[in-house]
Amino acid sequence: MRAQGDASRAVRHLLRAAAEVAHDPALVARLVRSTGLSAEGVRFALERSLELDATDAEVAALVAHATRAPAVHVVLSANVFTAPLRAIALARASSDAVTVRPSTREPVFAAALVAAAADPSVTLAESRDVGDVASGEIHVYGRDETIVAVRRAARPAVVVRGHGTGLGVALVLAGDGLDEAARAIAEDVVAFDQRGCLSPRIVLTLGDAARAAELGRALHRALEELGRSVPRGELDVAERRDAARYAETMAFAGHVHRAERHLVGVATEAGPLLVPPPGRHVHIVAVSDVAGAQRLLGPIHPHIVAVGTGDADAVRSVVGQRVRVSPLGWMQRPRLDGPVDLRAIGPA
Amino acid sequence: MSTAEAESDALHDRALGFVRAFEAGVDMPESFDALACDLARFQARHVPGYARLCDARGVRPSALRIARDAPGVPTEAFKVSRVASFPDVDARVTFHTSGTTLGARGTHAMRRPGTYDHAALAFGRHALMSGLPARVPVLVLAASPAEAGDSSLSHMLGLFSGALGTPAATTFFIRDEILDIAALDDRVARAIVEKTSVLVLGTSFAFVHLLDSVGDAGFPLPPRSRVMQTGGFKGKSREVDADTLRADLARAFAIDPRAIVGEYGMTELSSQFYEATARDAAAAVGTYIEPPWARVVPVHPESLLPVPEGEVGVARIEDLMNVDSAFAVLAADRVRRVPGGFELLGRWPGASPRGCSIAVDEILGASALS
Repeated sequence: MRAQGDASRAVRHLLRAAAEVAHDPALVARLVRSTGLSAEGVRFALERSLELDATDAEVAALVAHATRAPAVHVVLSANVFTAPLRAIALARASSDAVTVRPSTREPVFAAALVAAAADPSVTLAESRDVGDVASGEIHVYGRDETIVAVRRAARPAVVVRGHGTGLGVALVLAGDGLDEAARAIAEDVVAFDQRGCLSPRIVLTLGDAARAAELGRALHRALEELGRSVPRGELDVAERRDAARYAETMAFAGHVHRAERHLVGVATEAGPLLVPPPGRHVHIVAVSDVAGAQRLLGPIHPHIVAVGTGDADAVRSVVGQRVRVSPLGWMQRPRLDGPVDLRAIGPA
Repeated sequence: MSTAEAESDALHDRALGFVRAFEAGVDMPESFDALACDLARFQARHVPGYARLCDARGVRPSALRIARDAPGVPTEAFKVSRVASFPDVDARVTFHTSGTTLGARGTHAMRRPGTYDHAALAFGRHALMSGLPARVPVLVLAASPAEAGDSSLSHMLGLFSGALGTPAATTFFIRDEILDIAALDDRVARAIVEKTSVLVLGTSFAFVHLLDSVGDAGFPLPPRSRVMQTGGFKGKSREVDADTLRADLARAFAIDPRAIVGEYGMTELSSQFYEATARDAAAAVGTYIEPPWARVVPVHPESLLPVPEGEVGVARIEDLMNVDSAFAVLAADRVRRVPGGFELLGRWPGASPRGCSIAVDEILGASALS
């Protein structure tokens, strides 16, 4: 039986390794290549979203979330580049035998972290087949279809914990200053170029269409301003195609603020929701009250991982406990107190 | 009658002029571009979203000279916004798409559905009935208009069965999503005895269900029968590629594969496109033809400008029969111009994930399954 203190020490050791990795000057260029983010975007994420300043209470909470397992195999399929820290920390808190298969698309950070940690209990297993895992747990981070495939391939005795994809929603309250809210939302949008499951792609504002329009203008300005110091990386062809289509649709269905490296669509009426593709593309809708927000979000509720708002209590009553709720501007800085995706707690 | 209604009626009459000229085999009464630009101007005046779209793209409707300069309306707009030049109360029919996007279905309301009917029938007859008697038994493997009143496909199939079919007690062989093979078999057997060709109209997934039901036994149709197959599979049957489905249907029905005609249409349009294999011995399988009142233009998915001849683009469909909605529709399908028409190449693949942010197609896939 491992003591909780052992697990906490292992997590602390990993955090020190992550800090070492984050300060490696050679890392940024490699991450630019693997993530598609700009160099400034990589630094922005390292400075603001890598959870190096966890308190003892947070680490204790993370350890408490972890279930003990004889072995854990971590499959990183689709995640933001800093995610391996939390994923490996959770696995390490669960077990003294952790193997990690990094994402084929972004293997840099996970490999660097494992190397820097030099923890004999954590090793890379780039080609390990999930069907070869004989016991313990598999923690898989990826699209639903990947999680389903891993569950199918895993042996019956192995517990598979899936951490799926998702999106974030920001809720601007009636009393919020729009410029201030827009600047905070822009910070949440710019991190990882909106490719994280916490990234807000939908912004609801309590009020009328005129307030939504004003917020749209403010967010357009805020994204332009922040985009000058943290430029967006390159989108691939499919991402650009989806963005162009979103822009055309919103030009018809409302109003769209187009910039070279972001889009802000403002719906004229609170009709059916349109979710923009990732890549600094934000959809704004006005809702009359929190109940209206709940109705509008109904079809995407299972996919919501995070809500940013100034009134956590009101939002919590709408979205429940399995959604991370944080102030605007802090959506991409979740505390290291357990999985990012609270929907994933417990085996399916 | 309001000014808008009077304007709309005049445009409907001009649009129908194209259909009548086609039926009479004479020159079109005016140029495509002339009517298209007038439609764009009308729609910019009476469809608020279209005015916004023109404005966003820097297009002055009053200055339009050619159809291609008018912006196309993405099909998604039909799901999140009203695309109509008239008040809701004036809608005579309202069609809805079968698929939903986050709980919303695409909606296409029509004030004068007679324009749709006239055009659909004229070109359907042209593509499907060449060499057949004016009326033949029509057997439909889809829900009837009575059962699916908001489906433009069911509406069209009902129209075809009424105008092209011989009187029959049963025309639609799918009820409550169940294919009545016994009744279909009975109807085909009668046609064989009467030595009458039949026209079978159906959705791809209904044909797959039929093939799965009959297995190797086959389901021979009378000689010179025709089949019109349309639509995707929508999760309602196993998926079969177009060539395989054609070959399997030809074998099961014991007919020439060229007698199986693909149809391409969508709720957001008032015109349809067909393979010409049943009427033109030289027509290529997989090449769809357009009526003189509709054009399919492959455009670059980002710039939305026409791509060079022979290159793949997203389908911008200019439909002069869409008088009161959007004369230019930006579909989600990939197409390529080829001699004689265009090829249909399916949807663009979705963006592959570069993080844990959920992709739009993943949301849609989940909502389709829920």
